Amino acid sequence: MTEMAQRQELEQAVPLAALFTAFLAVSLYGVGGGGGIVWARRIAVENRRWISDGEFADIVSLCQFMPGPNIVGIAVCVGAKMRGTIGTIAAVSGFLVIPWAIGFSVGLLFLQYAHLPVLRHILGGIAATAAGLLIATGIRLLLPHRRRPAALLFAVLAFGLITFAKLPLLVVLFSLVPLSVAVAGIESTRARAR
Amino acid sequence: MTDPSAPLALTAHLALVSSISFGGFPTVLPDVRNFVVGIHGWMTDQDFANIFAMAQSIPGPNMILMMSFVGWKVWGFPGAVASAFATFGPPCTIYFASYRLWDRFRDAPWQQIVRLGLVPVVMGLVIASGTVMARAADTSWRAVAVTIVAGAITLATRFSPMWMLLVGAALGGLGLL
Repeated sequence: MTEMAQRQELEQAVPLAALFTAFLAVSLYGVGGGGGIVWARRIAVENRRWISDGEFADIVSLCQFMPGPNIVGIAVCVGAKMRGTIGTIAAVSGFLVIPWAIGFSVGLLFLQYAHLPVLRHILGGIAATAAGLLIATGIRLLLPHRRRPAALLFAVLAFGLITFAKLPLLVVLFSLVPLSVAVAGIESTRARAR
Repeated sequence: MTDPSAPLALTAHLALVSSISFGGFPTVLPDVRNFVVGIHGWMTDQDFANIFAMAQSIPGPNMILMMSFVGWKVWGFPGAVASAFATFGPPCTIYFASYRLWDRFRDAPWQQIVRLGLVPVVMGLVIASGTVMARAADTSWRAVAVTIVAGAITLATRFSPMWMLLVGAALGGLGLL
């Protein structure tokens, strides 16, 4: 069974170049953050049919409770699934190398002229917009949990401890996450007992 | 200006925070800002806000780019490359290892419980990051309005963020903020 699966995988091995270009596209289309998951799904699930929707959902939730930039995590996991270690390297390189070089050059040019009032104002406008996008993304991803009072409580606590109490991230993370997981555990035990 | 150990301290700190950046790098932004602006004074708040704005308006891996510019400010091109690796290296290793473990525990009930507990905390942190950046960027009530409208549009519609960033850039460039 596993032998057959392995043979099948070898026969239909996805070219490394395809992994590279697919995640290059995901990277370039997903401008401004947030859009990345949409493009990763469209390309890996719909266009290339490398993985199913269910597998994609698995990977996204896995990446959600791991540290790091989530979209890079999707590249790591899809690459690992298709071609193992070398597949991961291909997908992550596609995602990072060229976009990094482009972004870094454009950005340096920008920063060179950052003292110009017009450019400063433009960047100020972008920063104000981008802050709103970030807040909205957090709210949007919290929405599926809105019917659990404990979830909202822990979200508000995390927000407040960083924003108002100005506690270091590590402290907030390692004090709230165990509590929050424990409460979720108690809730689900009760739900099963009922 | 910056002592020789600065690049090392920055790289080590970025590698540490990227290893604990649950919910993506935005959750550790306040911490990084505090480290480079508050504790070490490698750049001003204005510099940091500029870098954030720029990284958001460029396609590609924004947060890795943003940390590259922070590294650039401290140690030029080597600093930029070191910061980039420190930002994506540790998480990629963790992703890879966890994906290998994932299948084995796919049906374990604890997995769902961990997700239920972790996600709300993470989203609180993401919203806090947005608020911290808004504080640096929103120097007038009109800029506050732009932040709120951009947030509201994102929640209510499926508008591409690119259009909103362009409108924000235009409003800023015309001196309206």
